[in-house]
Amino acid sequence: MFKRIYNFVLLFKEYAVFSILLVLSLVLMALNDNTQIRHIRGVATVVFGVVQDQLAFVPRYFSLRKENDILRRMNVDLADEASQLREAKLENDRLRRLLGFKDVSHYPLLAAKVVGKNLTLLRNTITLNIGKLDGVLPHMPVVGDGGLVGVVANVNDHYAIVRILYNTDFRASTKSQRARVDGILAWDGEDLILTNVAKNLDIVAGDTLITTDYSSTYPPNIRIGTVSEVAEQQGSLFKRVLVTPGVDFVKLEEVFVISYIPDSERSELEQSLQQKLRR
Amino acid sequence: MEHYVRSTLAILVLLLLQTTFIPFLSVGGFLPDVLLIWVVYIAVTRGQLEATITGFAVGLLQDAVTIQFFGLSTLTKTLAGFVAGYFFNENLTEQTLGSYRFLLITLLSSFVHNVLYYGIFLQGIQDALFTSMIEFSVAVSLYTALVSVFPMFTFVRKYRFSQSL
Repeated sequence: MFKRIYNFVLLFKEYAVFSILLVLSLVLMALNDNTQIRHIRGVATVVFGVVQDQLAFVPRYFSLRKENDILRRMNVDLADEASQLREAKLENDRLRRLLGFKDVSHYPLLAAKVVGKNLTLLRNTITLNIGKLDGVLPHMPVVGDGGLVGVVANVNDHYAIVRILYNTDFRASTKSQRARVDGILAWDGEDLILTNVAKNLDIVAGDTLITTDYSSTYPPNIRIGTVSEVAEQQGSLFKRVLVTPGVDFVKLEEVFVISYIPDSERSELEQSLQQKLRR
Repeated sequence: MEHYVRSTLAILVLLLLQTTFIPFLSVGGFLPDVLLIWVVYIAVTRGQLEATITGFAVGLLQDAVTIQFFGLSTLTKTLAGFVAGYFFNENLTEQTLGSYRFLLITLLSSFVHNVLYYGIFLQGIQDALFTSMIEFSVAVSLYTALVSVFPMFTFVRKYRFSQSL
């Protein structure tokens, strides 16, 4: 093997020696720092750049593969980051709206996150991540950025279950903000309706509905929603008033529990009257 | 060994001539290159390998003495020795030396040498690079070839003398 190489070198010894001496000469020349060498370096840089540019179309398989891996990983990281940012922005928007509500509310509010939802039953509820230890008590009203959400039905140390508007057990004394027409808000399993609205009363689609002073559970003037449709009922003294709630329960994620404790004196008086009437 | 000593001495003498006496023979600023003639002589008499190495050594010495553009003469004379070496024929050494072929080999080698030399030397300092390079190369090559007539005549006489014996 070595003999072959030796013979080969011997056969082309003139070229080998010439090449070595040529390289040596070029190295000696490169040691200069005169105008000519600087100019040649400049030209060489340009030529090298042009050649490299022309050869750029040749795919560099291994480096491309490595680059691809890095880019793919970066893509996943960035997608994750973008998703988190989008989520943070949406949360920020929601919290800003809630803060707006907090600013106009006259009652102490307890912020809570919705950690569970039941929206397909007749007695629908949501679960909050705060409980007794946070100051939540049964019958406290719950509001979102769009208005009334429901009322606390059950509570333990760390969680609270809220009976929402779409619950057949839910009732709320309601009035039209424009015409001051009263009624009882209820859900019949299909529609949210304002009951006990006599035919002669002035209520039209688009009217905003709010809570009244009559309720011992809800503080007055909390927005509930708007009247979406008003229909006459054959053989009935009342109108059928359909209501669209201000809160989108599907998208609901953050709420406030209102620390509202009804006036006990009033409650006791009302209860004693009820008892007398029963006798 | 004796050959190498003689060769080294000859190079030193020619180098001395090139740097001291030859400048007086300047025509229009152009000088003949006697060291190149020596490299061609080595190429014709000793072959390509020795001519290449001689070219390198001569160029290196010349660069060391002139200190103008270190490495440039080394490069060009190495190339000239290599090119001239293609015309080596050990059976026709004396005929080549004593005929116009020596002039032609010198002219060609000198032209290659000068094109490269001025091609690099004029970089960045001469606007009409190509014209100047050809002009200088042709002038110096012709002058060098003309001067190589003197050794050629010496070889002719030597060759005839050896033929007459």
